[in-house]
Amino acid sequence: MQIRDYILRRLMILPVLVIGTSIIVFSLTRVGGSPIGIYLSHEMNAAEVAALEQRFHLDDPLPVQYLYWAGGVLRGDLGWSGVAAAPVTQVFPAKLAASMELAVASAIVAVILGVALGTYAGARRNRLPDHLTRIFSISGASMPLFWFAILLLIVFWVNLGWFPIGRSTAEIFARIPHPTGLYTVDAILSGDLGALVDAVWHLALPALTLGYGATAIIARMMRSSLVEELQEEYVDAARAKGLPERLVLRRHARRNALIPTVTVIGLTFGFLLQGAVVAEIIFRWPGLGRWMADAVLRGDQATIMAYVMFTSLLFLFVNLVVDVVYAYLDRRVVLGA
Amino acid sequence: MVDIPRRIPMTAPLGESAWRVRIRRWRDLLAAVLANPTTVIGLILIVGMLSVALLAPVLTEPNTPDPYQMPRDWAALNEPPGSSEYLLGTTNTGGDVLYGIIWGARTSLRLSLIVVAATVTVGTIIGSIAGYRGGRVDEILMRVVDVFLSIPELIFALAIAAVLGPSFRNIILALAVVFWVKYARIMRAQIIHVKSNDYVDAARVSGDSGWRIYLRDILPNAFTPLIVQATLDMGHIVLVGATLSFIGLAEAGLAEWGVLVSEGQAGISAGRWWASTFPGLMVFVWALAFNLVGDGLRDVLDPRTETAR
Repeated sequence: MQIRDYILRRLMILPVLVIGTSIIVFSLTRVGGSPIGIYLSHEMNAAEVAALEQRFHLDDPLPVQYLYWAGGVLRGDLGWSGVAAAPVTQVFPAKLAASMELAVASAIVAVILGVALGTYAGARRNRLPDHLTRIFSISGASMPLFWFAILLLIVFWVNLGWFPIGRSTAEIFARIPHPTGLYTVDAILSGDLGALVDAVWHLALPALTLGYGATAIIARMMRSSLVEELQEEYVDAARAKGLPERLVLRRHARRNALIPTVTVIGLTFGFLLQGAVVAEIIFRWPGLGRWMADAVLRGDQATIMAYVMFTSLLFLFVNLVVDVVYAYLDRRVVLGA
Repeated sequence: MVDIPRRIPMTAPLGESAWRVRIRRWRDLLAAVLANPTTVIGLILIVGMLSVALLAPVLTEPNTPDPYQMPRDWAALNEPPGSSEYLLGTTNTGGDVLYGIIWGARTSLRLSLIVVAATVTVGTIIGSIAGYRGGRVDEILMRVVDVFLSIPELIFALAIAAVLGPSFRNIILALAVVFWVKYARIMRAQIIHVKSNDYVDAARVSGDSGWRIYLRDILPNAFTPLIVQATLDMGHIVLVGATLSFIGLAEAGLAEWGVLVSEGQAGISAGRWWASTFPGLMVFVWALAFNLVGDGLRDVLDPRTETAR
């Protein structure tokens, strides 16, 4: 019952947050004055400018302009992207697919590496692997992603030549159809092993870069919750009945230690979302983040607004899911609220 | 790990003056902080970085007219590190990487100090009003805070800096707009917590004014968690600020670490690794140093252990 109330309360605030965010996003684009400049050319006279202003409702008071804009967004009109030279909604799906593929790959890297590292360190508490993992975890929050990405490029692309840059090899891209826009999935659908290898090869470095911060957080959480679990009595019982240490760890302690870790996995989502901008620039990944960076540098307001609005909604949604999952797993949150 | 004394003795022997108690508390606190070796490492790094920032005009010949602008030596483009004249090499526009690192420390210090000072002040004011007044004002202010927190911070700062136009000054402004909310939220929670103490009621009964109670009894006792957050942010803000200038939102040619990494990025495929590597390392060390100290402070000042005293 209380969990239901908690979720309901969170859901009730949600519209306030969405509207509030949209007001901030709209206000941002008006900070630099009227956006009429995009539509103007030198040959226009005052009457033509006025006609344009009227057409785009830019002569109305700001709150009215906001309503027109919000109405347009709700009808799926996100404006014209100067960078992509096309309507935002038309370019969006392909860029989103590229970003999603990278984000999912990074999340997989982070979860596998983070859980493995955390388990390894937690089972060897206060020994060298544990200390090394701690250093790794602490450095995760301090690591400039743009620098880490460049270091990886210097080592693995420039010097060793093991990994490529970009999203795919042109010939391989051309030889299979792309119904989903997720290159790994497209390769699997067309049964082309070479294309799959190519897609994964291109994903490796950016996914490793983007997953770094999340890996550090997950490893830290996994380590501390495993250390806690290993002190429980059921672990002693499992050992007493003669179970090998490996199985004690795998079947008992690690399973329970995963529960609190699952909740931080959701929280690392913010890392992926924000890091994507930098990772996509450096690895020339044609996703939303790189589009946003281009838009920022060229003052493409429609793209900036769409991107900020989209990431905020995604962020709100994920945080809501994380909170709900967390509330289910840890009842004290609800009771204490 | 070394055992950190979690409880700091707070009881004063009878007859000891308030000043002495205060000095002793600070001494105990300092001892507790210094007992943690990683905190000490962080402190040493911070002292090193601050020395570089403060001594920049002594360590290098300041560029004229603007020392924050990279000096260009057009006769020494892409010089590899190790030469006597350019110890860490030069960029593809003849900028001295070592100069950029040294003056970049000063730029970073300026950035983090301004943003932290501004956000702590605004956050304290908003959080105090919300926590102290309560009711409708609190409700409205906290919904505004929630809205600000629902936009991912880097993307928010990126968008603000973008609409203001590319300049380092606008990066500072953008970060200030994004980062005050955390302080407001922490401050509000602290004020509500401290307000419920008996000594606040005692002050009220004895006829003190609301302002006097706030300034003397509530604010000083509510401030501790903000110190921890501010320490962490001294590092975090430089990290985010350098990211924004790496993306291209600062002036080209500014002696700033993110700008330098971005400038050096073009040369890495030709094997010129130095122009990006050294400045990026500085961002990392700066952020790491403040994270280590912030974590150490949190261990000692943690509000959960505070209540146990």
